[in-house]
Amino acid sequence: SSQLSSLPLHILLYVNGVYYIFYFLATLAMIIYKSQVFSYPDDFLAPDLAVLFLMAILEVPRLYLGFKGNLTEEEAPLGLSLGLTVGSVLLCVYLLLWQSYVLWADVLLNAVLLAAYGLESGLKVTAIAAFVS
Amino acid sequence: PADTRDATQARVRSPPAPVTDVARLCVCDLLVAQCDTNCCCDPDCSAEDFSLFTTCSIPVVVGDSQLCSQKAAVYSLDVEANPPERIFKLIDQVNPSIFCIHATNYEQALYFKSPEIPTAENFDELLDKFGGATFSAEPDSWNLDTDAQNPPEANETSRYEYGVPVQTEDAFLRLPSPVVSSWCSDANPAGFLVNQATKCFRSVSVEKCDSIQALSMLFYINSSILAVPKSSQMVNITVQSIVVQSVNGMRTLLSSSEALRLPMVLDELCINAVLGVNYHITHTDTGEIIEAAAAFVLGAISRESLSIEQSFEISFTQENTQPVPLSGNPGYVVGLPVRAGFQPQGYPSPAAFLSNKHSQLTILHSTSTQDCLAAQGARAPVLFGYNMISGCKLRITAAMKCQPLAQTLLDVLKGQSFPEYVASFGNSQAQDVLDWVPVTQLHISEQIISHTLQSSCQIPVSLGIEIKWTKYGSLVNPQARIVNVTATITSTTLKQLPSGRERIIPITSSVVFTDISSPAEPSYKAWPTINIKLPFDFFYPFV
Repeated sequence: SSQLSSLPLHILLYVNGVYYIFYFLATLAMIIYKSQVFSYPDDFLAPDLAVLFLMAILEVPRLYLGFKGNLTEEEAPLGLSLGLTVGSVLLCVYLLLWQSYVLWADVLLNAVLLAAYGLESGLKVTAIAAFVS
Repeated sequence: PADTRDATQARVRSPPAPVTDVARLCVCDLLVAQCDTNCCCDPDCSAEDFSLFTTCSIPVVVGDSQLCSQKAAVYSLDVEANPPERIFKLIDQVNPSIFCIHATNYEQALYFKSPEIPTAENFDELLDKFGGATFSAEPDSWNLDTDAQNPPEANETSRYEYGVPVQTEDAFLRLPSPVVSSWCSDANPAGFLVNQATKCFRSVSVEKCDSIQALSMLFYINSSILAVPKSSQMVNITVQSIVVQSVNGMRTLLSSSEALRLPMVLDELCINAVLGVNYHITHTDTGEIIEAAAAFVLGAISRESLSIEQSFEISFTQENTQPVPLSGNPGYVVGLPVRAGFQPQGYPSPAAFLSNKHSQLTILHSTSTQDCLAAQGARAPVLFGYNMISGCKLRITAAMKCQPLAQTLLDVLKGQSFPEYVASFGNSQAQDVLDWVPVTQLHISEQIISHTLQSSCQIPVSLGIEIKWTKYGSLVNPQARIVNVTATITSTTLKQLPSGRERIIPITSSVVFTDISSPAEPSYKAWPTINIKLPFDFFYPFV
C-alpha cells in the first residue's frame, strides 16, 4: 500500500506541539522576570507580550491543519499550514532579535523553535509534492 | 563680551557627551591635572606615582554586569616588581548565567538618561514637570490622581474635628491672644474642642474708646458661628451674663443681661469697655455646634491708663452632659486634684457614685491666725503627688466641754463632707464602681496612763491620709493608679484642766503619697512554635 502521509512530519508536528507549550510558558515567565528586574516601561512591554500571544493563537490552527492535511493526504490544509508557519517564523524572529531585552535563554529557545519550523516547512513541502503528484 | 556670552550659552546648551568606553572611564579621578592617590586609572599619574601606590581603589571598571559579554578594564598593582608598577588589562568579562542580557533594543535600559538642559523654550514645561516638591517618573498618571483627590475633601468637612478652627460668617471665631509680645492679636482662631484661656494687653485711649472695636461687646458676638464647616446653618452667639467691674475692682453681676452695653465716655471714664469674654460652646457628639454663649466682664477705663489687660476663655461642652474635670487620662497627673465621691444611700450594692466638683478630698488649710476654731472652712484640695502637712493651734480652756469640742475638731480635720470613695484613675467614671477605692478610716487613740482614773475624753488631734499608688500599664508609659487610701485619726486624752488655765494643743493634718509599685519586669513574648502535623494518611500505601 502506498502511504503518502509523512511519518516524520507527524512526529515533528507532535514534538513541536509539546515543545511550544514549554516555550510559551518559559517566554512568558521570562518576560515577567524582566519586567521586575529591569526597567521595562509599558510602551515596550506591550508589543512584546502582544507578539507572544499572537504567536500562541497562530500555533493552534497551524498544528491542527498540519495534522489534518498530513493524515487526509490533502494538500490544501497543508498549504494553509505552511502559510501560517511563515507568520510564526516572522514572530519568532521578532522575539529573537527585536525584543526589548534578549536574554541568552531567549536566544536558545527561539533558535530551537526556528530550527523546528524550518525542518517542518521542508517536510511539508515534500509532503505536498508527494500528494500532488 | 557678547562673543563669550554666546560661547558660554553654546557650551551650556549641549551637555558633555557621556563616556561609555571602559578604558577611559575613571571614577576616582577627582583632581584635575593632578594625580589622585591610589587611583590606578588616573591618566594624570606617571610611572613614578604608580610606584608609590599601595593598592588600587578601583580594581575593575565594567558597564552593566548583567550583560552576557562585555569589556572590562582591570587595574592592578604588581608589588613583586621593583619598583611596583600598574598593570592595565582590557578583558572580555563573561556572565555565565543563562539569564544574562544578550542584546537590548531599548536604549535607555543600560544607561542613565541624559538630562534635558533647560533653555528658554522648554523652561516652563520643565518647571511644570519638576518644579514641585515631588515628581513621578510618569507624569501622565499624576494628573489622574489630583482629580481623584478632590471629592474626598468635600465629605470630610461635614463636621468639626478637634483643632479645626471654628468658622463664622465672615472668617473664624477670634480669641485674641498674645502672639510675639503681650499685645493682643485678633488673628488667633479658636479651635474646636480646644479649651483655651488667654490674657493680653490692648492699647486704649479714653477719647477714642467708643471707636475702638475691640472694646465693644458687638465685636465679639456680631458674627454667627457656622454649625458645621462650609454650611449655611448659623448659630447666634447669645449673651449669657454681664458682670460689671468697678474702678476699685468690685464685680457685680447684672440681673438682666439682655441689653447690649456699648462703651461710652462718662465723666472722664470710658465705661462698658470689655475686659473679659468667656465663650461657652455646646456641641453634639457628631461635631456639630448647637449653642454658643458669651459671658462678658465690662469695666471702666480711666483717663491715665494707656493699656488694659483683657482675658479671654473658651470652653466646649457636649450637650446633655455635665462636664467633670479629669485629673488625668487614665493615670493621675501630678498636681491635679484627687477625685473622690460618695456612694448614694439606699443602694445595697454600689451602683454609681456621686462625684462633682464639690466632693473632693480636701485637707485643712493653715491660715495666718493659726487658730483652729476661727479658721473653720478654709480647706485646700489634695493634689496628687504633693505631700502636704498643715495644722492649727487649739486653745483649750477649762470651760470647754469635751464632746462638742471633739466633734468640732473632727469637722475641722475632716471637713464638711469627707468622701467615702476615691477614684482609682484620673478619669474614672461615676458608673464604673470597680474604679473607685474605699477610704479606710482608722482610729488610733493615744492612751496616756493617767494618774487619776477620771473618765477621760478623747479628742482627735491629727488626721493622716496615706494614699498608696502604683504604676500601672506599660513600661514606657506608666500610669499612676491609686490603690489604697487610709485616713487615720489619732486621738489623745484630754486631761481636765484646772479652772483659769489654758493649754494650746497643736492639731495637724497631713497627706502622704506612697509609691508601692513593684519593680517592673519586662516580659517577652514566647518564641513561636512550629506546629507541623502530618495528616494521618500521609504514608498511605504503607500504613
